[in-house]
Amino acid sequence: MTDFLQNCIDGVMIGSSYALLALGFTIIFGVMRRLNLSFGPTIMLGAFGGAWLYLHFNINPWLVLLACIVFTVAAGVYVERLCFNAIKRNVAITSMVSSFVIWMQLEEIAIHILPDRTSPFPPLFASLSFEAGPFYVRSEYLFMFAVAVAAVFAVERILHRTWFGLRLRAVAEDPRAAAYMGINAGRVSVYAFVLVSVLGAVAGYLILAADQQVTPFFGLWATFKGLIAMMLGGMGSLPGAIIGGLLLGVIETQSLWYFGNEYKDLAAYLVLFLMLIARPGGIMGQRLVERRRLAFRRV
Amino acid sequence: MLRVENLVTAYGKIKALRGVTLEAREGEVTCLLGPNGAGKTTTMFSIAGILRPTSGDITLDGESLRGLGAARVVGKGVALVPENRLVFPQMTVSDNLHAGAFSRRDDRKRQRDMEKIYQRFPVLRERSRQPAGTLSGGEQQMLAIARALMARPRILLMDEPSIGLAPIIVAEIFRIIAEINREGVSILLVEQNARMALKFAHRLYLIQQGEITFSGTPDELGQDEVIQRSYLGG
Repeated sequence: MTDFLQNCIDGVMIGSSYALLALGFTIIFGVMRRLNLSFGPTIMLGAFGGAWLYLHFNINPWLVLLACIVFTVAAGVYVERLCFNAIKRNVAITSMVSSFVIWMQLEEIAIHILPDRTSPFPPLFASLSFEAGPFYVRSEYLFMFAVAVAAVFAVERILHRTWFGLRLRAVAEDPRAAAYMGINAGRVSVYAFVLVSVLGAVAGYLILAADQQVTPFFGLWATFKGLIAMMLGGMGSLPGAIIGGLLLGVIETQSLWYFGNEYKDLAAYLVLFLMLIARPGGIMGQRLVERRRLAFRRV
Repeated sequence: MLRVENLVTAYGKIKALRGVTLEAREGEVTCLLGPNGAGKTTTMFSIAGILRPTSGDITLDGESLRGLGAARVVGKGVALVPENRLVFPQMTVSDNLHAGAFSRRDDRKRQRDMEKIYQRFPVLRERSRQPAGTLSGGEQQMLAIARALMARPRILLMDEPSIGLAPIIVAEIFRIIAEINREGVSILLVEQNARMALKFAHRLYLIQQGEITFSGTPDELGQDEVIQRSYLGG
């Protein structure tokens, strides 16, 4: 029982970073109604930028974090301009495919920046682990969790208390009506990409700092984690993204502990598979599906 | 005040408007009547900057609005109440109202405007924390009008405000429109409900297949037998 609870604690803490990744996907999906597959790779590129500066100039880890954010935002805006702004809303698949192409490009760039493929990545502070009753907590995971919670609250405030958030929600809900109100959807989309890039960079930094290394495959990894968490929680639902992320973290740590490392991802895919059969909308998506069903009945 | 001159708007190669000329005068309710597909909504969208006209001009007090884009047209004082209301269903009523005020940044004035709107539409105040999707059709129409008013328009473009509403609600909506108009907001109204339009409009335009085929006062329209027969059922 203690093991199980210990795994839950670890899972929630690791899952909090997945939740940030899923939030990134969800916000962009909400605003654009299109998937941005290259979200993970933009974070990876940002991390490579940070790692490069760290290797060559030995800068402070906080500056590495800042560099990650700056590079990720730049890559995110690049993706937005190329794959989303330049392509019309009604050809969503083109955006998805081109974001996949840009993914390949970003990976190539990363490999050229640091040809060693695996680069060391600096944590903000030395790792400690401390005991809380019968449980162990690693400081970097606790920090990850704390930052993720703060980030979620920040996003909530931005979405519900600022002009930008109001615009973003309006565009997400009804792009046509938003345009009639005079909302510039193009500008909203750039800012949305900046927002999710910052989120993604923070999540990426926390994960990589815990691993203390980065490889070009981190892009693939981050896109997978974010997409799975989003689908578990429910496409387009912000609370769903958070729940999905935490759930994915817990599933992974439990299966890692009870079945071993090779089953970690398998268990996650299995749960996703079962979820897609039993509740295709995801945990929070069901309500949306039902509402749509009700709407049909009314007609 | 608002003049549309020789406006041509096309969807691809198909011309939806073939040289529309009309004028909405200051302080008046101007009504654009016409059958489905005649170009009523296209005219509204062209004025509001949502569609880009191929030729012709749109001026507000002599200043051209053509090609400004929706955001800047709203800023000039032209707000649209779209057909089928198009409120943001999951956003609260108060967020919907704020969404109408994008063109303005002054918080205090906006707060005062909200207060005025809640006085005019007490039902919206009652429901201000509710998602707009939970409102009835009539309430949603009021919200759509209120949202457009938040932009402090000088002229309100209303696209079929009576669509899909029960007759008693339609009467209420038109009472509100008349009231807004009396307070100095000019109105350009698109309607299929000709009886209502005749009752409230100061000036009428009839549009058919992208062309204006009649313009005049409701009385003049009443005297035109052909139109009488085809639009008002004899």
